[in-house]
Formats: sequence, structure tokens, C-alpha cells
Amino acid sequence: MGKLNLGQGSGGRLTSELIGKFKAQFDDVNIQRDLEDCTMISPEWAITIDGFTVSPMDFPGGNIGKLAICGGTNDLAVRGIEPKFVTLSVIAEEGLDEEELLRYGRSAASVCHELEVKLAAGDTKVVPRGTVDGLFLTVASMGQPLGKPLGMDRIKPGDRLAVTTSIGRHGATIGSIRFDLDVTGLSSDCAPLWPLVKPLAPLPGVRAMRDCTRGGLGTTLCEWAEGTGLGIEIDESSIPIDEGVSSVCDILGFDPLHLACEGCALIAYSPDDEDRIIEILRAHPSGIQATSIGTVVERHPSMVGMRTKAGGMRVVDMPVGELLPRIC
Amino acid sequence: MSSDRAKLLSSALRRLADRPTTIMEVCGTHTVSIFRQGLRSLFPENLKLISGPGCPVCVTSQGEIDGAIELATRKNVVMATYGDMMRVPGSNGTLGELRGSGSDVRVVLSAMETLRMAEEMPHKEIVFLAVGFETTAPATAALLIEARKKNLDNLSALCLHKRVPPALRALSETDGNRVDGFLLPGHVAVILGHEPFKFIPERYGIACTIAGFEADEIMLALVDLLEQIGKNRPSLTSRYDKAVRPEGNVKAVDLMNRVFNTSTSTWRGIGPIDESGMSIKEEYSLWDGSRKFDVAVRNMPEPKGCRCGEILSGTITPKECPLFGTGCTPITPVGPCMVSSEGTCSAWYRYGRKGDLKWES
Ligand code: SF4
Repeated sequence: MGKLNLGQGSGGRLTSELIGKFKAQFDDVNIQRDLEDCTMISPEWAITIDGFTVSPMDFPGGNIGKLAICGGTNDLAVRGIEPKFVTLSVIAEEGLDEEELLRYGRSAASVCHELEVKLAAGDTKVVPRGTVDGLFLTVASMGQPLGKPLGMDRIKPGDRLAVTTSIGRHGATIGSIRFDLDVTGLSSDCAPLWPLVKPLAPLPGVRAMRDCTRGGLGTTLCEWAEGTGLGIEIDESSIPIDEGVSSVCDILGFDPLHLACEGCALIAYSPDDEDRIIEILRAHPSGIQATSIGTVVERHPSMVGMRTKAGGMRVVDMPVGELLPRIC
Repeated sequence: MSSDRAKLLSSALRRLADRPTTIMEVCGTHTVSIFRQGLRSLFPENLKLISGPGCPVCVTSQGEIDGAIELATRKNVVMATYGDMMRVPGSNGTLGELRGSGSDVRVVLSAMETLRMAEEMPHKEIVFLAVGFETTAPATAALLIEARKKNLDNLSALCLHKRVPPALRALSETDGNRVDGFLLPGHVAVILGHEPFKFIPERYGIACTIAGFEADEIMLALVDLLEQIGKNRPSLTSRYDKAVRPEGNVKAVDLMNRVFNTSTSTWRGIGPIDESGMSIKEEYSLWDGSRKFDVAVRNMPEPKGCRCGEILSGTITPKECPLFGTGCTPITPVGPCMVSSEGTCSAWYRYGRKGDLKWES
């Protein structure tokens, strides 16, 4: 056991290992047994928490304030849970511009308005320069399920998989700023998912949803395959990837499957409902690129395979190590 | 390549592979491309691909890295090199760590960038750490020719360039060599053309095909190789005609010949190979970093437990190294095969750790 490195925070295999070890300390008091994005603390209420440390704090398509409320509530939305309350902890670095802080606050509040979510508690601290980089926000969210909470325990062989929009835009946007690449038209997909997925939550054919944040679509798929013990097959040519994202990946050597999304969900559903689900998603502005990308299978248990554009098949594994530091 | 074409080429390979056959992809870019495009799933059971010594970072010996690191710590020296070199472990740390502790080590995308650095920093000694095969060596040669023309006396190169054909000769001569054919590196052939590879089928009876990097080009080259092997008629063919002219890039070869002599060079894990290195000629000695700074390249043992040598000569696959995935990962690399984006161990770690999936229609 050595010192922590950034790779352990990048959302891939090393992150899972670190979380596993840390969680083991709470074995007697931990009620979060399944590896879902939020936990039911009673039949009516679900809860989740998330920290946001993105650098830079302003980026095309959003800022740390908007990101915090979107990210915090998306973890509820993908289990079919309507977000109701959030709490917000602010840790700001001495020297941060006050107006800048308020501007992030306004962005966060406007997402709350859009979702009709109430701020229930908050905490603000200013710490000496150098102890945090700019601003860290932590959001806990609570919500109520519309139907039976979705989860990967409902996924069956034969189920189809869809993404709600093109992948990797958040990661590619942050990467392009970090590496000074000027990519026209590239912006983060940062958006609240609840308005998009609300009509799906009560449909019995919908089994599970996940937002593909750190580690991207590839990691989310691996978590499902490993969590269910089933196999997953996806088709490279059907995965929507914007041109700007492809360019950034080509230049920086990233795999778009592993780039973070902040407004893209992966959905598993019964094949009978495919047309209806895609139609509902595409009717919403954040879902116009929604498309099915693959199937849950019985063969190759716990593994994700991708049919490549070249007609081959390769394993999709969790990314290793640090892709981009401080992305969300 | 469409799915239909993939199936067609796959069945051609299946038909031709009537006995266990081992092909070495010499070049790291081929290794990565084969993994990323899922081509392994299209190969018949009988066909085994192993990776060779074609990753320039991986074959740089520990002694060479140590020499470079020692030089980079000297007062007034600014060391510039290609990005992948930053994380290659020497006996005591990496160039990247050296930068962290205050030495001036910089990443450049091309050799020529160092020319500008030398002009902008006349009071510093700019040393270009020149690595790579015949693909990057012409650029180093051009740099030194330019530096001599301009009389820039604060620029030099620490030349660690290596030549591919002598390494293939050494592999072909190895006792117990199990390779039936070489998938030859397209980029190197762009510079050298056909001639320097012809001795392999002629003298050693090993099939050779120059291959591009697209799925199509790789699959077609494998078909070529299996045909040669099946008919027992080893020769040299090319499936990369869009980029490779039979005579190669005469200008680039001329640049290399003007600046470099061939010399013996030590390849990591493999050891010294005659004529496989490039040393800077006498008339460019003022721009030769190893002479200017009297850098000693010692023979250093490889890190304990690391089996890069066997990886680079295709004797074992990464999974057979006890450190693979445990002591050695891309975050904590022990050997350079895990550092470089073209390294065999890194490709296996990224794409092949869980195994292969077979193509099912
Ligand atoms: S896995 Fe690591 S230690 Fe083993 S051969 Fe590869 S680079 Fe060397």
C-alpha cells in the first residue's frame, strides 16, 4: 500500500479497488451494499453524495456550479428517482474572486429551478491559499422513486443497450482546454438527466440506467458486465461520437469510450420496447442523438466485447490510470 | 474494412493456416493496431502472432537511459526528447522524475524544435536525446547538418538511434528461433525500401511482408505471409505500396549516411547487436553529445524480475512475466515495454488483460 496517485481517482479499475478498500472499513455500518449510483434509505427516499473539483472551473457548456447540481442529481435520475432536495458544501480557496463564486452559485441555482429541486442545507468554508485549488463543491441529493427503483439486478440476457447522446464530450472538452487545443463546436454535455429520463422511469421494460461519468461509457459497461456476471456486446460503428471528440482523441491518444460524460446515460431495456424508448428519448432536446449500441448476452460472462469498425471483436476493459486529472 | 471483407479475409487465413504458424509483428504500432481493431478475433487458432523489438522506447537499454539521465543533471544542460522517453525507468528513476526535481528536461514533437531552443538560449547547452529507428534518424541527421551550417555550438545530440534490419538478422540467427514470418514495419520500409530486408528470406528462409497499419493492410499482409509459408517459398512482398517505394526514400537515407556510421548497439534485454546502432561521424563530432560531455554508456542490468528482453525477442508473451499487471502496470511501470504507448506489455495491459473474444456471427 503506497501513496495515493491521481490514477486512483480517475474512475477506472484503480478507483474501484481504492473504493473497495476504503468501504471495507465501514462493513458493520454500511447500508450501501449494491454498487449503484444512489441508495434507498427507505422505500420512499434515496440519497447520494458527490464532490466536484473540476479544473478549469469554467468550460464550454458549463461551469463547476452547474456541473455540481447536474452531477449530484443525475445519480438519482438514473435509478428512476425524482430529485427533491440537495445540500451544498462549498470549500473555497482564499483569493478566489467573490463575484466568481456567486456566478457559480447562480448557475447551480438555475439547475435547481429547472428541476424544481430545493436547497435543504449548506456549508461554506474559506481555506488558506494552496490548501484547495480554487473551489471544491460537494452535493448530497435526496429524491423519491417514481416506480420500482431501477438497478442492474434487473438486467437480463437479450436486453438492449442505448446511450442518450454522443459520448465523451465532457472529457474531450476539458482535455482540449488543458492541452490548449482549439476545437470548434466542442462543448461539454453537462446537463440534468431527469427531464430526459423521467418518462422512461415508470416503463416496465426499462431495467437499468447509469450516467457515464468518470471512466466514460467503457467503464460503465464493464461495471454492468462485472456486476451482473453477464456478457455485453457493443457495436463500434453505432456509437455516436462527435467529430470534435474524435479529433481530440486522435491528437491526445485517448479512447473515446473512456472519456467522461456529464449528461449521457446508458440504458438497458427489454428489446420489445426499443422503438418506444428511442422515440421518447429523441423527443427531448438532450436526447436527439439517442441510439441503441448493443446487447446483453450470456456468452463471455462479465466481459464487454466490441465489434470494431474493422469487423473484429475486442475486449473493452476499464481504463487504467490517470486520463485527465480533475475532470469533475 | 467492412464486416464482410473481414469475414472473407478471416476465412482466407483459416484456409491457409493448415499448421501451427508463428508470425512476428516487428513494429509496436502493428501490435497496438491489431489489438485496437480486434483483429486477433479474426485469426485462426493455428496462427500465433508475437511482438518483436519494434518499439523504439522499449529497446533503449538501461545503460543508455542512465547515461542520458546523468547528462541531464549537469549544470546548464537542457535536455529535449520525445514524450514517451520521459517515463522510461533507468536504474535510479526517470527523466520525468528528474524534471520534477529541478532539471531542465523538455518534451519536443520534432528534432528541429531543438534548433530554435539553441538559438533562443545561447548560454545553455541543448542536448537532443535522439531515439528511434530509421524513421526518426533522418530528422536527427538533418538537425545536425543544420546545426553545423549555422555553427550552433550549444546544440548536440545524444544519439541512441537503432537500425532495424540488423536486429532482424540477430533474431533470425537466434538458436531455436520459432518465427515463420515477419510482418515488417511499414514506416521503416518507407525510408529503407525493399532491398535491406531481402536477405531475410534469401539467407534465413523466413517469409517477409511489408505491412501498413489499417486492418485491411494487416490482414492482407498476413494472407501473403501464410501463402509464402504454405508454398514453402519465402520471399519479400509488400502490402503497403501506397507509402513504400521499392527504392525507399533516397533523400532520407542519404541524410543518415552523411551523418552516421553503423556501430554496435546494445538493445534492452537482447544485448549488443553488430551494426545495429548509429554513431555520429567524425566531422560532426562537435555536435555529438556523448563526446562533448564524455557520457559513458555502461552495461547495466535490467530491473529485477523484468523480462522485457524475452518480450522483445518474442520468446514469451507479457502474461508470462510474473510482474505483469501486479508489480508492473502503466502507473507503476518496471520495464519500458509497459511505458511506451507502443510497448507490447502496455498494449496487452490495455486491451488483452482479460483475454480475447472470438468472433461470433
Ligand atoms: S510486464 Fe513489466 S516487468 Fe514484465 S516484461 Fe513487461 S515491462 Fe517488463
